[in-house]
Amino acid sequence: MTTLTAATRTKVLQRQGAAVALTVMVVVSWLTFPRFGSLDNLRDLALQGSFLAVIALGMTFVIITGGIDLSVGSLYALGGVLAAWGSQHGFLTALLLPLVVCGGIGLINGLLIARTNMAPFIVTLASLLFARGLLLAITDEGANTYQVAPDSAFVELGRGTVAGFGYPIFIAAALCVLGGAILNRTGFGQNVFATGGAEQSAILMGVPVARTKVLVYTMSGTLAGLAGALTAAYLQSGVTVIGVGTELDAIAVVVIGGTLLTGGMGTVLGTVIGVGLIKVIQNVINQIGTLDSNYQSVVSGVFLLIVVVLQRILRR
Amino acid sequence: MSRMLLIAATALLVTACTSRESPQTAASGGPAASAAQQQSAGPGCTRSRTGYPQVDVKGATVGFSQSEKEANPFRTAETQSIRDEAAKKGVNLLVTNAQSDLNKQISDIKSLLDRGAKLLIVAPLNSDGLQPAFDAAKAKQVPVITIDRKVTSQPCTDYLTFIGSDFVEQGKRAAQQMIKATGGSGKVAILLGSSGNNVTVDRTKGFKDGIANSGLQVVAEQTAEFDRSKGQAVMEQLIQSNPGITAVYAENDEMGLGAVTALKAAGKTPGKDVKIVSVDGTRSAVQLVADGSYTAVIESNPRFGPLAFETLEKFARGDEIPQSIVISDDEYDTSNAAQKLGNAY
Repeated sequence: MTTLTAATRTKVLQRQGAAVALTVMVVVSWLTFPRFGSLDNLRDLALQGSFLAVIALGMTFVIITGGIDLSVGSLYALGGVLAAWGSQHGFLTALLLPLVVCGGIGLINGLLIARTNMAPFIVTLASLLFARGLLLAITDEGANTYQVAPDSAFVELGRGTVAGFGYPIFIAAALCVLGGAILNRTGFGQNVFATGGAEQSAILMGVPVARTKVLVYTMSGTLAGLAGALTAAYLQSGVTVIGVGTELDAIAVVVIGGTLLTGGMGTVLGTVIGVGLIKVIQNVINQIGTLDSNYQSVVSGVFLLIVVVLQRILRR
Repeated sequence: MSRMLLIAATALLVTACTSRESPQTAASGGPAASAAQQQSAGPGCTRSRTGYPQVDVKGATVGFSQSEKEANPFRTAETQSIRDEAAKKGVNLLVTNAQSDLNKQISDIKSLLDRGAKLLIVAPLNSDGLQPAFDAAKAKQVPVITIDRKVTSQPCTDYLTFIGSDFVEQGKRAAQQMIKATGGSGKVAILLGSSGNNVTVDRTKGFKDGIANSGLQVVAEQTAEFDRSKGQAVMEQLIQSNPGITAVYAENDEMGLGAVTALKAAGKTPGKDVKIVSVDGTRSAVQLVADGSYTAVIESNPRFGPLAFETLEKFARGDEIPQSIVISDDEYDTSNAAQKLGNAY
């Protein structure tokens, strides 16, 4: 009983820690910088956050199972290139091709990790290199950028707006709500927690640990591919230089959001808050203007460190 | 344990990112501060054609979006040149740096517009993908000047004009220097820049065209990805496989400096036994030219400030602006390197 209360308290504290930081940041920025609260700025903040949120959603599931997925940055870029290439064959090809290919690579990640018990970071590091290599191969070493026709329906997916807010924002929001529901209200969600909490006990209790792992890595790959497709639609081209280091951003926002790197605990809402924090920090540094943008990494790094230290303390 | 592994993996990744970044950076190569000459290409762009309002440069808020970290001489000199000229013109300059992140460059540009920039200077991170940022500028009727890297969007519509070096011409001038130094005969090795990069393609084409009618013969060409240590490693291999090499053309200074180290280690005297010509104009390379252990350096000019603001002033006056403007590049050889060392960056 006491353990349960302690766990709940820790969970609440962790989640609120990031939320409190975000609230303070937003309120202070709103009061300090007149343009921070402008509708244009908020729209751009949300849009920029939406691509990362989609990737980080998959990463949340992976990290809760106690794993890690380093391939998402490369899959994100690969997804974008495939979508831009596919757009010449119509909307569905542009959308589905990256989902299938990146989901497929995620599936292979999952199978290797679940069936052979190889360390997730080695397996996904290999697919990071593989996917980046594949991307360079199909773009003639990055020299050939596929363009999306500006008037195609696919561009609308990335550039269309409702009240000025881009479609990717709504897509990311819907996916996060769905992801949160799956995590907290389904048997699969329970399996994800159980796998990361205590894998051996989970296996003994009959939790389908292997299947759960395969599913989370497939999901992570698919979502990275989707984020790439949305980005390609938004940029109107399959840009090859994106996604370098994005896996680290995704891991950072998940951890800042209170998900334990050791697994077994975490929330989608926390991840969304983590994305918000990172993007607000970036925006504020731009608002200050005189600050070297290197400080963005410094500030994000400090935040990450504080959160990880707090996690360590709160866990005891 | 797993956490330690994660840290190790992270460290690996960070290293990987950094090394991937630097060739890109060096790719743009850099040049010196001479008077700029203009070349018009295609129909020009006037303010009346765009319908943009007149914005006097003096006292205006101008945004500058840099693409990559100012961690190499070219980027440092480029940003400094914009800053200096802005101060001279009495401009309120806002500066952002996208840190090699394309999405960040888009939001950087949007935030510059949001913070009241009426004129924009952009050093694009990539030729493609900045369309959302250009659209945002268009919506606010803000003219955008792109510098150093050409974008695939439409001049005059999406952006005002492009100011940059003629990389083919740089290759040709390197060839002329090489012919002058070698007397037009010998075996040349080319250290290529990163593959799939237009700078590499252009500088290679210009050089090969330039030596076509001479007795110089290209015996080897290999990529060293604009990187000094790779330049050294590739040069070491080339000396082994082609001991008769008498000249090296490096597509940037960094690779050339690597080649110097390799040649010295092999007991050769760079600048004498083996002539070396490269493109960029960094201080370390020009210093070697002055010292006599390097043949020549063709500049790739990073000082876009004067030309960029001059173009914005012309646009405000209603003058016709060409689709692209070529910035003039200097060159350094043994006869002038010592005097011009101050221009190197």
